[in-house]
Amino acid sequence: MTDLHAHTPISDHLEKVTGRAEFISDVVVPGMLHGKILRSTVPHGIIKKIDTSAALAMPGVVAVLTGADVAQLNNHWGPSLKDRPLIAIDRVRYVGEPVAMVAAEDERTAEEALELIDVEYELLPYVTGAEEALAEGAPVIHAKPEALKDFYFKGEAKPVPGTNIFQKYAYEHGDVEKAFAGADRCFEGRFEFPMVFHYAMEPHCVIASFHNEGLTLWSCGQSPTAVQKVLSRVFEMPLARIRIISPYVGGGFGGKASVKIDPLVAALAWKVRRPVRVCLSISETMLTARRLSATVDVKTGVRNDGTIVAKSVRILMNGGAYADTGPAIAVKAANRAIGPYRIPNLKLESVAVYTNTVPGAAFRSIGGPQAVWASESQMDEIASALDIDPVELRSRNILRCGEHVRPDLRPIDVEMAEAMDIALKEMTKLQSLDADAKTFGGTALGISDPGIMPVASVLMRLKIDGSVAVVSNSVEIGQGVREVLRKLASEQLNQPMHAIEVLTPDTAIAPFDWGTAASRSSLMMGLAIEDAAKDIRKQIADIAAIVFSAEPSAVRLCEGGVMIGNEKKTFNELLHSYYGIDSGEIVALGRVSPHSNGGRLAQAPLFWETAAGRCGIIADVETGEVKVKHYVSVADVGRALNRAGAEGQDEGASIMGLGHTLSEELIYEDGQPINATMIDYHVPTIDEVPENFVTVLIESGTGPGPGGMRGMGEGAILPVAPAIANALATGYGIRIRELPITPERVWRALRDKRKV
Amino acid sequence: MFITPFTHHRPAGLHSVFDILAKYGDDAAVYAGGTELLLALKARVLRYEHLIDLKRVKELGGVRVENDFIGIGALATHYRIANDPVVLASIPEYASLSDGIANIRVRVAGTLAGNLSFAEPHSDPPALLAAMGATVQLVSADSERSVPVSEFIAGEFTTMREDNELISEVRVPVTQPNEAFRFRSFGHLERPAVNVAVGCKNDDGKTAFRIWLGAIGDHPIHAEKVETALRGVPRASLRDVLPAATEEFTSGLSATSDLHGSADYKRHLASVLMQRAVNEAAESASSKES
Ligand SMILES: Cc1cc2nc3c(=O)[nH]c(=O)nc-3n(C[C@H](O)[C@H](O)[C@H](O)COP(=O)(O)OP(=O)(O)OC[C@H]3O[C@@H](n4cnc5c(N)ncnc54)[C@H](O)[C@@H]3O)c2cc1C
Repeated sequence: MTDLHAHTPISDHLEKVTGRAEFISDVVVPGMLHGKILRSTVPHGIIKKIDTSAALAMPGVVAVLTGADVAQLNNHWGPSLKDRPLIAIDRVRYVGEPVAMVAAEDERTAEEALELIDVEYELLPYVTGAEEALAEGAPVIHAKPEALKDFYFKGEAKPVPGTNIFQKYAYEHGDVEKAFAGADRCFEGRFEFPMVFHYAMEPHCVIASFHNEGLTLWSCGQSPTAVQKVLSRVFEMPLARIRIISPYVGGGFGGKASVKIDPLVAALAWKVRRPVRVCLSISETMLTARRLSATVDVKTGVRNDGTIVAKSVRILMNGGAYADTGPAIAVKAANRAIGPYRIPNLKLESVAVYTNTVPGAAFRSIGGPQAVWASESQMDEIASALDIDPVELRSRNILRCGEHVRPDLRPIDVEMAEAMDIALKEMTKLQSLDADAKTFGGTALGISDPGIMPVASVLMRLKIDGSVAVVSNSVEIGQGVREVLRKLASEQLNQPMHAIEVLTPDTAIAPFDWGTAASRSSLMMGLAIEDAAKDIRKQIADIAAIVFSAEPSAVRLCEGGVMIGNEKKTFNELLHSYYGIDSGEIVALGRVSPHSNGGRLAQAPLFWETAAGRCGIIADVETGEVKVKHYVSVADVGRALNRAGAEGQDEGASIMGLGHTLSEELIYEDGQPINATMIDYHVPTIDEVPENFVTVLIESGTGPGPGGMRGMGEGAILPVAPAIANALATGYGIRIRELPITPERVWRALRDKRKV
Repeated sequence: MFITPFTHHRPAGLHSVFDILAKYGDDAAVYAGGTELLLALKARVLRYEHLIDLKRVKELGGVRVENDFIGIGALATHYRIANDPVVLASIPEYASLSDGIANIRVRVAGTLAGNLSFAEPHSDPPALLAAMGATVQLVSADSERSVPVSEFIAGEFTTMREDNELISEVRVPVTQPNEAFRFRSFGHLERPAVNVAVGCKNDDGKTAFRIWLGAIGDHPIHAEKVETALRGVPRASLRDVLPAATEEFTSGLSATSDLHGSADYKRHLASVLMQRAVNEAAESASSKES
């Protein structure tokens, strides 16, 4: 599918395959100590006593950090609600919460010392389920969390004091109740989505160092400037004294978005006054962040011809012990439940609650898979009850490009019908090639409003020798952003790819960017690079006017220099003449704000990220095993800047979706996570990847970025679960409303069907 | 986590292994691939002050052929077994089982002896080895004995092996021209939820089955009742007898609900896998005859 000759080698690939790429775990800072974390073994309790004396007495141990040490700091933080202590202070709220931390000369000693720390807890009643957390008399996990306005996301969370609710969101247009009453049929269903783990290949790893110039962190965070901001508040230090360096990161998927372990590691470094490195194990990472589980109630009213007249959605999300980015996720989940359909009367409600479980966090298309799972499953239920083909039912309701999903949001900017159609055609082709294996098809569509803050900037430095440094805070988390930046800079400045260097993000030199998440970096950086390139062209034209008396409008960038009319001057000739010495550079800052492009970026969402998925499955009706033989994923990305990379993102998102569809679920029993290891928690392997996988990227050129591109990388995860559940319903007559669709659940559904 | 500090021993011969074991007793453990032991040590559910690496012990290596059995040395990995020409030719179903265990990383390091010694119930080899009539050779400093695999596993993480004994070899009878084995394993996580091994032997037109279940309980289970029900039943009539026989048998099985599935689902799986394996084994045995 990929034309190997079509692209030059990708920036980071050679370094990565030869093992030379530097990840944080490879960084060595002189004098650094190693930190290890002692974690709570109880779901909810008061810390009565921590005895660290034996650990401190151990040779090689330099310090032990506990809640008592951070009393003098501004010791609570959070991206949205200031609910999380740097380290457990007086109580613990989930199994796995950091309670004490050892800094030692080596990792082994630090770990040995953990065993010598004695913690006494007074157990408190706990809740692990969201419904239980809402129940009368449930233990309240945070009495009165403080909401931070416009801190990371725009707006603020709406916790309900005295309850476990940390976010409540509601939206309505039209009159839903009236429309339900007038509908021919109403369909109601409850859908369950599990807690799932991000499983980035590289666990969290951070090095923190306090020194004369302030604090430097080598961070695995996807949002270096958010890390910087939180640290600045915690340690009451000016932002300018805090430097965040982001080497290559081995995957994030949201598990490293906003801020995660950085403040904890920094607190230990602050205490010992030496650099400290902390690298979590994969099991510890499983206790650090996870996707919010959700119970989604959907009701849809339709006419007999399938026209939707009203829809209401209520989402209850389990946000874990700390809200993290949960408040934004709850809002997004509600929006993403709408779907690409005309819905004249719509009501959305979401509630996110604290429980004594691993903190919920952003995860590839925040809130999206949970919501689309419910909505798109119900679409097929409606189709089946009305005896309309599921694709036809969708067609009858589908929004055309330019129509409103919600009147207050940007109109949808793609043709979903086209994507759905391509998915169907490609699947039919696959199925006809493999006619012996009778597979059943299922379709689902997903649309999401990426939570993109149009706040970004990039620095471009054109050197006298024609090389260009691109300096930004976009973190390379394996998604290929460095290659995209190189391509964009090369295009905008009309310079060859090899002339462009994309630097390791470092807040000391890179200008502000909101973060590497929400399918935003290519687009945001694309716009910023466009802006910076404009400035470089202007500066060059001005210089050419001065040194060569050129007419500014006649100056054009060409490879290695400029064309002034028909005459070529190298950058060297230009700048040498200008500065008088054979040195120098041109520096330009590109900026994106809600006011950029005549204010066109201010309306949310900046674009719609969409996906159409169709699967071809076979189920073993005796064991209940579901095999996804074929899968087609279609998305309008506007323009594929790096086709191989974009296809990889699309495939990766879909396969990741197979995990929560078929096997992944973090399970709690008696307040304990019982399968938080990679042996008991099954992430899809190559054996589960569909035999035939087709990605179709539509390049309509209709996105807001350079060349009409829009962001991508998350959308393809949306349709997977409902497409597979829909195929099971079509092929085998069973409707599964609870993920993951384990063989046992399929078997039970088949057995129950036989009984009736 | 890191393993708690230990002293590493790399003896070259069995005698030194026994000497070290005698000296340190409960504080010492042997390992081969380490795929089970190291995980348990890292999780700190087990601790030993002395670890004895068996990989250089010459007496334990290799796969050898005797007249009527294949001797699988304690150091033979699943990968080696799956690809060994002698194993492939003489006990093909066992080779195929080995090829399906875990993932390639575990197969190239993990050994059959390690698997049996660890006795994690969610394992593949025991049921088929029991059906094949394999035995475990146990050696100590001064004695050697043989225990059928069917009796070797006593329960969850416990075997008939004495502390001063090692597995030296697993002896698997060569599959005869008139017999066929089939192994079926099922699970949606890393390890099997349930598996079934069936042997079918044709003696002058009379078929006899040997049927064992694995992973569902804490040790391999002999499905004698099903064997009896199927005795003498012509292949064409199997389908009439089989479902009732397997369902009756599995409905009485004790099974535990865990991450791999609920007890009733596992019983159902056992019945389904048994039917499939019986049919396949019968078919294979009859095609060999003709
Ligand atoms: C991710 C994963 C997936 C797996 N999936 C499966 C699966 O699908 N099916 C399956 O059947 N198994 C599975 N296993 C288990 C696998 O088969 C075993 O881990 C492997 O065979 C153990 O062999 P080893 O040489 O590594 O044992 P080690 O870890 O070296 O030793 C295991 C135990 O055996 C003892 N021991 C080792 N050799 C001897 C000996 N010669 N005499 C006496 N005692 C000895 C050790 O002291 C230790 O207690 C899986 C394991 C992992 C890690």
